Amino acid sequence: MEELSQHIANAIILGSSYAILGIGLTLIFGIMRVVNFTHGELYALGGYAAYMVSTVLGLNFFLGLPVSILVGALVGAAIEFILLRRIRTSDMDTGMLVMIGAGIIILNSIQLIWGGVAKSVNTPFSDVPVVVGPVSVSSLRLFVLVAALVLIAATYFLINRTKLGKAMRATFQDPDVASLMGVNIGVIYTATFAIGSALAAAAGALLGPVFLVTPSMGNMAALKAFAIVILGGLGSIPGATIGGFILAFSEEMGAGYISSGYRDAMGFLIIIMVLLIKPTGLFARSERVG
Amino acid sequence: MKRFLPIAFVLVLVTLPLWMRDPYYLHMLVTTGIFTIAAMSLNLLLGYNGQLSLGHVAFFGIGAYTSALVSLGFDVDIFDYTIVHDPWPPVLGFFIAILVTGVCGYLIGKLSFKVRGAYFVIVTISFAEVVRLVALNWMDLTQGPLALTNIPPIVLGAKSIGYVSILGKVPSYYLVLGVAALAFLLISRIVHSRYGRAMIALKENESLALACGIDVTKYLVFGAVVSAAMAGAAGSLYAHYIRIVDPEIFMFMNTVTMVIMVITGGKGTLYGPIVGGLIFGILPVGLRVVAGPEVQWIIYGALMIAILLVLPEGIVPAIQRRFGLSAGNESKERPPADKSLVRGEQAL
Amino acid sequence: MKKASLLRILGSTVIVFTAWSTMAAAQSIKIGVIEPLTGAFAASGNYVTNGAKIAAEEINAEGGVLGQKLELIIEDNKSNPTEAAAVAEKLLVSDKVPVLMGAWGSSLTLAVMPKLAEYKVPMLVETSAATKITSLGNPYVFRTAPTSVMEADFFKDKIDAFKLKKVDFLVVNNDWGRGTVDDFKKMFKTKGVTVGLVETIDPAAQDISAQLAKMKSSDADTLFVTAAVEQLTLVFKQAAALGFKKPIITTGGSQNPDQLIAQAGATADGTMHLTTFTPWVPEATAFPALTTKYVEAWAKRGYAFPGVTESFRGYDAIRVIAAAIKGAGKAEPEAIRAALWKVNLDGLVGKITFAKLGPKGAESGQSTPEFRVLKIENGKISVVKN
Repeated sequence: MEELSQHIANAIILGSSYAILGIGLTLIFGIMRVVNFTHGELYALGGYAAYMVSTVLGLNFFLGLPVSILVGALVGAAIEFILLRRIRTSDMDTGMLVMIGAGIIILNSIQLIWGGVAKSVNTPFSDVPVVVGPVSVSSLRLFVLVAALVLIAATYFLINRTKLGKAMRATFQDPDVASLMGVNIGVIYTATFAIGSALAAAAGALLGPVFLVTPSMGNMAALKAFAIVILGGLGSIPGATIGGFILAFSEEMGAGYISSGYRDAMGFLIIIMVLLIKPTGLFARSERVG
Repeated sequence: MKRFLPIAFVLVLVTLPLWMRDPYYLHMLVTTGIFTIAAMSLNLLLGYNGQLSLGHVAFFGIGAYTSALVSLGFDVDIFDYTIVHDPWPPVLGFFIAILVTGVCGYLIGKLSFKVRGAYFVIVTISFAEVVRLVALNWMDLTQGPLALTNIPPIVLGAKSIGYVSILGKVPSYYLVLGVAALAFLLISRIVHSRYGRAMIALKENESLALACGIDVTKYLVFGAVVSAAMAGAAGSLYAHYIRIVDPEIFMFMNTVTMVIMVITGGKGTLYGPIVGGLIFGILPVGLRVVAGPEVQWIIYGALMIAILLVLPEGIVPAIQRRFGLSAGNESKERPPADKSLVRGEQAL
Repeated sequence: MKKASLLRILGSTVIVFTAWSTMAAAQSIKIGVIEPLTGAFAASGNYVTNGAKIAAEEINAEGGVLGQKLELIIEDNKSNPTEAAAVAEKLLVSDKVPVLMGAWGSSLTLAVMPKLAEYKVPMLVETSAATKITSLGNPYVFRTAPTSVMEADFFKDKIDAFKLKKVDFLVVNNDWGRGTVDDFKKMFKTKGVTVGLVETIDPAAQDISAQLAKMKSSDADTLFVTAAVEQLTLVFKQAAALGFKKPIITTGGSQNPDQLIAQAGATADGTMHLTTFTPWVPEATAFPALTTKYVEAWAKRGYAFPGVTESFRGYDAIRVIAAAIKGAGKAEPEAIRAALWKVNLDGLVGKITFAKLGPKGAESGQSTPEFRVLKIENGKISVVKN
């Protein structure tokens, strides 16, 4: 029983970060219909940004999060502006492949700059865990949980209560009508990609210090993000949020009770099952799959 | 001129070991050849069927593992049963690998009917990752990260003629060349046949093809099976040449390599994957002297983006347009128009 | 200037340059180095490679070997067995090196070994601990690193001091980790210590909390961990986060205590480590003067101190190879192989000399270093004496 509550606690914390990752991708995937293969690399960039701020430059650890959000937004906007605009009219395959190419460039640039050795991010938190009954959680992880929830709330606010958010939702529903109503689709796309990428970077800056920062940390993250998006339904923020927690739960329970080796497989199994049984996901707005 | 080029090319390939003695370059050509076969199989799915499968490396890897396990032997415990397999000749491993991957292709083909576009892409990637994780964790069968080592080389021959062990660069080169030639001919025949036309029609406009009575599922599945089986064959060759297989073979990067080969060469063309394969098989050797692996991959990524933006159809079609050739562009050919129909329409 | 003299100057420059470069090329003896410079074992691989470079530089500064300079051709095996075999192929076939050093991890070395027999070139194994590397019967393998069996043997006499009754194992899932479990299990059985849980970690895994949660609720009194330094950091941090209180002993010699203290901080306190080289206390090493000299050379090149605890392997290995080449009289694989048997060198881990190990007629060379037990307490490393 105590093992179970520990797993649940771990899952909640992990899930909150996964949720951010998933929300970022669902925005991009939902509004722009682009299979964003750079999402994982932005996650890694966020991790390295936190590393640079905290370990290399020795600045305040808490500065790492806003810095990585900024980095993510800028890089995301750049990718959208330089690459995606040009292929907006091409078929989906071309878009995906261009994204893969961009992802490869970012990944290898990271490895070129920082090398292949795993990096540790300095945190001001003590290693003594916070113990509540049978559950033991490090202070760092508590911070991650709180920060992630704040970001989720902020994103929800942005999408549902601001003008920009309204324009994004309109574009999601029907880009042509939205543009007829005066929405500058180009700006919306850039903003969407920037916001989505910033969220990915934030997730990386949060989870990077919990584990280690490596150039390939984005690979798994990208695939898990896809799992979350598919589970929650395209373009649905509540869906991505809940999807993130569901994924974290299945990983923790799977790793704890079935086999730790298949931990990462949970996400993929979810993808395959969902697409076979209910392709639109749990919370999808009405739309055709594919 | 048109006829001369392919023949000259074939002659060069066949006589190559006679004038290229450096074993390292031969090694590069063998691995390039293996990946080109895989690229050709991906081209069938991507260029002719129109399905962007990013899990193609799964078939390649399954073929490699199947062939290796058949020839190494294994014993696994499944639930309470112990399955023991004694080593079989690697040649059998080759054919069994083709069979097993063909079956996997069948499953993927059926699946692709339910799930399309971006979702299909994600499912195929997930499939490859699940297979990788299984290979990594089912240590009983696959040895996981310890890798399957000492895989025996393929032995060709019969009791009456004698046996030839395909060990070493030159015999391997010819084996790979032979299989590649067979693969090329097979794809060529498929593309020019009824099946090929149906697949292309399917790619161009699915609803129209359906309306014309073409059984979409059947041709999707057919394309997937052949494509998978061919990738499995390439995987088997890989296993018996490199003679070590580990779960990293399923890495997404390997799929990306195959995709880059097909896209830059020209998807939907017969020679595209070959050109792409040669470029990306030989480029690393040349670049190795001047650039580290990270820089190399950055160049490949940039190259792929450049081709996609500037020459979206690939190198081969661009060259063909330049020189006014049109061989190998089957997927772009329009079927001969029925003149009577046109006149009828105009009369309206 | 007249055209003819210009041509003459150009011509002689070309000739001199060509002659010089061919002479320079002919003047170097190549040693192939295969190490994980990227991937899961990158930290250790980079340290070992730097140690090797120091040895080569020192030897070249003293005139090289047989009048020629040593040239290290370093290849990255990306912590992956298939890649290790591939770069070995490249070094042997394309660069035609007469001797190799590598490949750090046991699974990586095992992947390279068939090529050694195929191309008949010897390799110096500097870190890998899996026993079967030198017991499989590959006469081209010479190892300076200890086997897991030796480690278990050394530990046999310490069991009473540590009061062990039941132990759990948390090991990385490859030949090294699994081999350690097998060898220690056999040894423990002879001393009446029971082995409880055996959990494995994927070499690239970062989240080890599931396995640790199980360990926390087990009834063993001590946890043995075999993993590379990056994963040890994660194990310590995550164990502390879970409130894990049992003593932890690590094996394998790649623990790098300084890096552990730097990255795992207070969570590394109380942990103990089986290792072979203790540069913090030169007096406790086999040849204190040699140790001090090496530590200074390492610091002089601007490398951080933590790397010393692993780089010494590369340093010793290259010195052994150089001694063998000198003894062979020529840079040919077969001669070097024969000469390796005759090597008797003072290394940082003790006297290095190769004893025959493995099936008759195809023995590998195995050297036996000395062991130590370290303890980390309050961010300080001390050698445990008993």
